[in-house]
Amino acid sequence: MNQQTPYMPELATIVETFDETPDIKTFRVVYQDPARMAAFRFEPGQVGQISVFGTGESTFVINSPPTRMDYLQFTVMRVGELTHRLHTLKAGDPIGLRAPLGNHFPYQDMKGKDIVFVGGGVGMAPLRTLLLFMLDNRKDYGKITLIYGGRTPAHLCYKQELKEWAERGDMQVELTVDNGDQNWKGRVGVVPAVLTELGTSPENAVAVTCGPPIMIRFTVQALEKLGFKDEQIVTTLERRMKCGVGVCGRCNIGDKFVCVDGPVFTQAQLRQMPQEF
Amino acid sequence: MVVRFLPADAVADVTAAWARDYHVLAPVREGSAVVYRTWARDMHPFLGRPPTASAKQALLPQTENLFNYTYRKDKDDLTRTEVFVSEALPPEPTLILGPRPCDARGVRLLDRVFLDRGVTDAQYKARRAATYFVTVACDEPENTCFCHWTGGGPRDENGSDVMLHPVKGGFAVRALTEAGEKIAASIPEAPAEVQKELEEKLANPPAMPAAPDLSTAPESFLKIFGDMDFWMDESARCLSCGVCTYLCPACSCFNITDENSGLKGRRLRTWDTCMSALYTLEGSGHNPRPNRSHRLRNRVGHKFCYHPREVEKQGALEFSCTGCGRCIKSCPVSVDIRRVVLDMIERGAAAAPEVKP
Repeated sequence: MNQQTPYMPELATIVETFDETPDIKTFRVVYQDPARMAAFRFEPGQVGQISVFGTGESTFVINSPPTRMDYLQFTVMRVGELTHRLHTLKAGDPIGLRAPLGNHFPYQDMKGKDIVFVGGGVGMAPLRTLLLFMLDNRKDYGKITLIYGGRTPAHLCYKQELKEWAERGDMQVELTVDNGDQNWKGRVGVVPAVLTELGTSPENAVAVTCGPPIMIRFTVQALEKLGFKDEQIVTTLERRMKCGVGVCGRCNIGDKFVCVDGPVFTQAQLRQMPQEF
Repeated sequence: MVVRFLPADAVADVTAAWARDYHVLAPVREGSAVVYRTWARDMHPFLGRPPTASAKQALLPQTENLFNYTYRKDKDDLTRTEVFVSEALPPEPTLILGPRPCDARGVRLLDRVFLDRGVTDAQYKARRAATYFVTVACDEPENTCFCHWTGGGPRDENGSDVMLHPVKGGFAVRALTEAGEKIAASIPEAPAEVQKELEEKLANPPAMPAAPDLSTAPESFLKIFGDMDFWMDESARCLSCGVCTYLCPACSCFNITDENSGLKGRRLRTWDTCMSALYTLEGSGHNPRPNRSHRLRNRVGHKFCYHPREVEKQGALEFSCTGCGRCIKSCPVSVDIRRVVLDMIERGAAAAPEVKP
């Protein structure tokens, strides 16, 4: 990102889009300047601001891992003005991009540990970047478990990858939905319940969670019951953001800004902050 | 230091002369308000009382162009578009006439946000370097003034290039910076009696009631953060109108939006207000600050806790408040931030050391 003109996006092109769920779409983008694309570096968990000129800008996590740099992938749920417009774009269309922004998952501190990913809905996106990064560096990490839930089977993102991950043999995938359909043979129920049922051990483990606020709240409670300490729980927060560089003011929690001091926080860090989520 | 004399009836002419070299923002009366307008012929600057609006618009305009963009359609395939972006024009040198010492001093609070927080806001930096403050010293602080609570004073010189002191028949003028010397150069030297009047004035600063000790404000705020009864009480009258933030010299939060016109448009930065529920409303419908109590708490917290904590590494206790009193004077329901802060300190002192929500 340009330090002198922090609000000026760089031009990028969408190279591929596909539907994940009825209201979630994935976009693969590359910078228009090949030299910029080749030099682009980021850490898992960092975010980017996508511009659709004429509508505005919004923050999304880069959900492809830094180990796979053919394109930058973003997964976008259609909820507001910007995301509605973004969903109408197709391969070849230009967008603006300001990236990378924010901090990242403390993956260095997670080396040698068992990792439990707990995700809900589009909250799988930031988990995906870290999960793929870890799978690409598989020997650095212990047991990897993914617990992922959606409203219905159709509302799970990355369906093909979920299948591949389950078949890899070197990680455990547990899927659950709030409401199944006639073809669904998996679990029905909320994510925290699956976590409790699996009885995941906090021994030498780190839990990484992202999803709707209500899911995060109950997931943290379930993790605590299992014996996870605050330092062992990592989450990534969402806030309404504009500038993305800690200036415009709106994403503050106390004297921290989610856009620069976050979006990734441990539960221990969150406990030190004024409780305003 | 040379003291100059600007007769009251020469203010308009001198301002007109400045307007040849600078974009001049001058205070004019509009209804019962005093607002800054770009100088135009036949305009009468009004320096009789502090402007209703703060001077921040010279550095952070209400609406500012960040950059322009243009779409171009591919003539052979109309579904294909290209987009081009271009930078906004640099600001022109600006002279702002009529701010008060609290306003000029408050600029450093904006610097904290736009220059010191990690990124340099180029547009702010350019405006900052090209903006000059011709400040009017205060002889009679109003009952909403509390600049001395936050380290200022009615004749504080920080941030001013030229200071105008009201004297009989006009203003005694003192240049405080090199740029100020240039601005004041055309004003004739003051006669002896004006110099004497000024000396007497400076020797007798206007009396203000003793300032309370606010050093425990940051700690008190955190202690009672979860005390929603307190915040509900303090915010019960608030209408979320946001006038306090728009008039505040230290409030700098902004929104970024696109303004489209056919295949062209510009990305704008505009003032925003944390008193609005929309400020933090997320696309999902989740809002971390859904009620007025949360929002007033955030505003007071930002000024009297988060900001001081952010800058405390540099030593002194600094609030993100200049004590100008505009938020008190213009609040339609008489919310008084002084009262809120004092209540907060009192409540905090009474509270147990650890109050977790």
